[in-house]
Amino acid sequence: MSSSVFGNRTTGLSLTLPAALFAAALFLVPVAILLSEAFVGPEGGFSLSAYSDFFADPRYRAVFWRTLKLGVLVTLTAAIIGYVAAFAIVSLPPKSRGRIFGLVILPLMISPVARTYAWLVILGRTGIVNETLGLFGIEPIRFLFTETAVFIGLLQLFMPLMIVSLISAMENMPSDAVPAARLLGASWVQVFLRVILPLTREGLVIGGTLVFTGSLTAYITPAILGGSKVLMLETLLYQRVTVARDFASASVIALILILMCFGANLVLRRLATVKRRTAA
Amino acid sequence: MLKRSLIAGASVLALAPAANAQDCELTISVYSFAQDEFDEILYTPFEEETGCEVIVETGNSVERLAKIAANRESPVIDMAVVSVHDALEASRDGLLQPIDTDALENFDKLYDLAKDPLGNGEAIGYTFYATSIAYRTDKVEVTSWGDLLSDELAGNVAFPDVTTNQGPPALYMLGKALGDDDTSLEAPMEALGEHADDIVTFYVRSSQLAQLMMQEEIWAAPIGRFAWGQFKDSGLPIAWAEPEEGQTGGLNVMVMTANNGNEELATRFMDYWLSTEVQTKLAEGLVDSPANAEVTVSDEAAENLTYGAETVAQLDLLPPEAIVDNRDAWIEQWNALVVQ
Repeated sequence: MSSSVFGNRTTGLSLTLPAALFAAALFLVPVAILLSEAFVGPEGGFSLSAYSDFFADPRYRAVFWRTLKLGVLVTLTAAIIGYVAAFAIVSLPPKSRGRIFGLVILPLMISPVARTYAWLVILGRTGIVNETLGLFGIEPIRFLFTETAVFIGLLQLFMPLMIVSLISAMENMPSDAVPAARLLGASWVQVFLRVILPLTREGLVIGGTLVFTGSLTAYITPAILGGSKVLMLETLLYQRVTVARDFASASVIALILILMCFGANLVLRRLATVKRRTAA
Repeated sequence: MLKRSLIAGASVLALAPAANAQDCELTISVYSFAQDEFDEILYTPFEEETGCEVIVETGNSVERLAKIAANRESPVIDMAVVSVHDALEASRDGLLQPIDTDALENFDKLYDLAKDPLGNGEAIGYTFYATSIAYRTDKVEVTSWGDLLSDELAGNVAFPDVTTNQGPPALYMLGKALGDDDTSLEAPMEALGEHADDIVTFYVRSSQLAQLMMQEEIWAAPIGRFAWGQFKDSGLPIAWAEPEEGQTGGLNVMVMTANNGNEELATRFMDYWLSTEVQTKLAEGLVDSPANAEVTVSDEAAENLTYGAETVAQLDLLPPEAIVDNRDAWIEQWNALVVQ
């Protein structure tokens, strides 16, 4: 693209140089230094022992699987609710569409700390959820400091990102695609699977990556709603650094988180391209 | 005018222009809480008295100590306040130097416990706090640390995580109640592990507890006295337990970094902080309980503080050596026995 605007590649590349240098000096190098600690063995030299130690510990394994499970669950749920919401929003007349869109992104403007503390009240024993259950004679349920609470908190935190990504993907969809498919006799399920999904995959990849990486790397929400009984990789990392001063295993966790984020993006992209080929 | 910059990181410090350079400046490293009060009671008056600038760096103690260790060749921080066990660790790392107590006019006024807690002259206590159990008097009665694991309280207790400052002392007292005061803390951790499902959460921030108490999420929790104010004002019937095994607690100390070249001013600052006037104001402001025995405060303030020779003498403190030597083992053990 740069060649079309600037006439030659060199100009385009040299213009990206400041940003690249900035990223390299202030992000890549420090991260590389940090992560390299995780490859040093007990007697110095290259070693993967920090990794094998990490996965050999059943407690760390449990934290890893819990983080992955909650990340996948939050992403899937956000996608399902997100599609319904996004489809409903793009079907609205432009004026109310803007208003509803504003409401969707409103939570993004409120601090995650405030939002998470709100959940602490809502999900509490005397909170609105348990009060409502009480009206039906149901005994108070403990939500706080469980995986359920972390799931709810993360979902609310990141779902707007999914909805926004899907809305912009759907807005780029030809407006007559869905009516045409319906006219030709497709059921709503078929319309979704054969028309909407293939045409909005880019949005799903972007939204999915944002929600998944967000859920993996969120700190405040699992720390407040889960506490030390529901450790996630991010809260475990914090514990290793601030308490145990164990920078080696903290580096291992940091690298695992980075790899999980890249992995999620790769998987989502792969899904998108494979399906596009079959759809074409 | 605030002539002071609150600096969040060493990088910022390095980049900061040496604009308002005065003849002298003092860089201190402190806990981040109550900085407005410290500014009013301690920093600004000291600046006015000496004409020197006080540069304040805040953060949790691990970050702050890591920074002191990283800059050991050319110290940025002149004096710091940390917990007594963190001071011991820094002392063992050779990061500290003895404080010239002859230059401290207020040294003799301190409680004996505060004068030389490390035994090598490298730390001076400036505040104490007691740790006991805050509990809902309309729900239960707490007369022993062992009550935390009683059937009555099952599902209604928050216990401090082993990684917090309150964790090990609370475990130590629980061990005493179980008839085992070994500093390995194995017995209390085993007992706590058996009751792990009955503990609502292993908390890391005491600021969270008042809300949990108000939401009826918990009825009891071991807390430091510094966090008591938020419970007292909640309007609920909450009492400070006086368990038969006694109360535990902690001591925070001031330390002087090695080779900082600013010893004279740092010592003067320490002396000012320990003075009866400043310690009284900090106590009345419910910021810190006094280590200066000459401090007298109103009954209302005393109610919220760890105050008085008798109270201080009765605190059953874990020795700092025990904390530093066992910390890693405790965390391992905690992970294995309590939060599997």
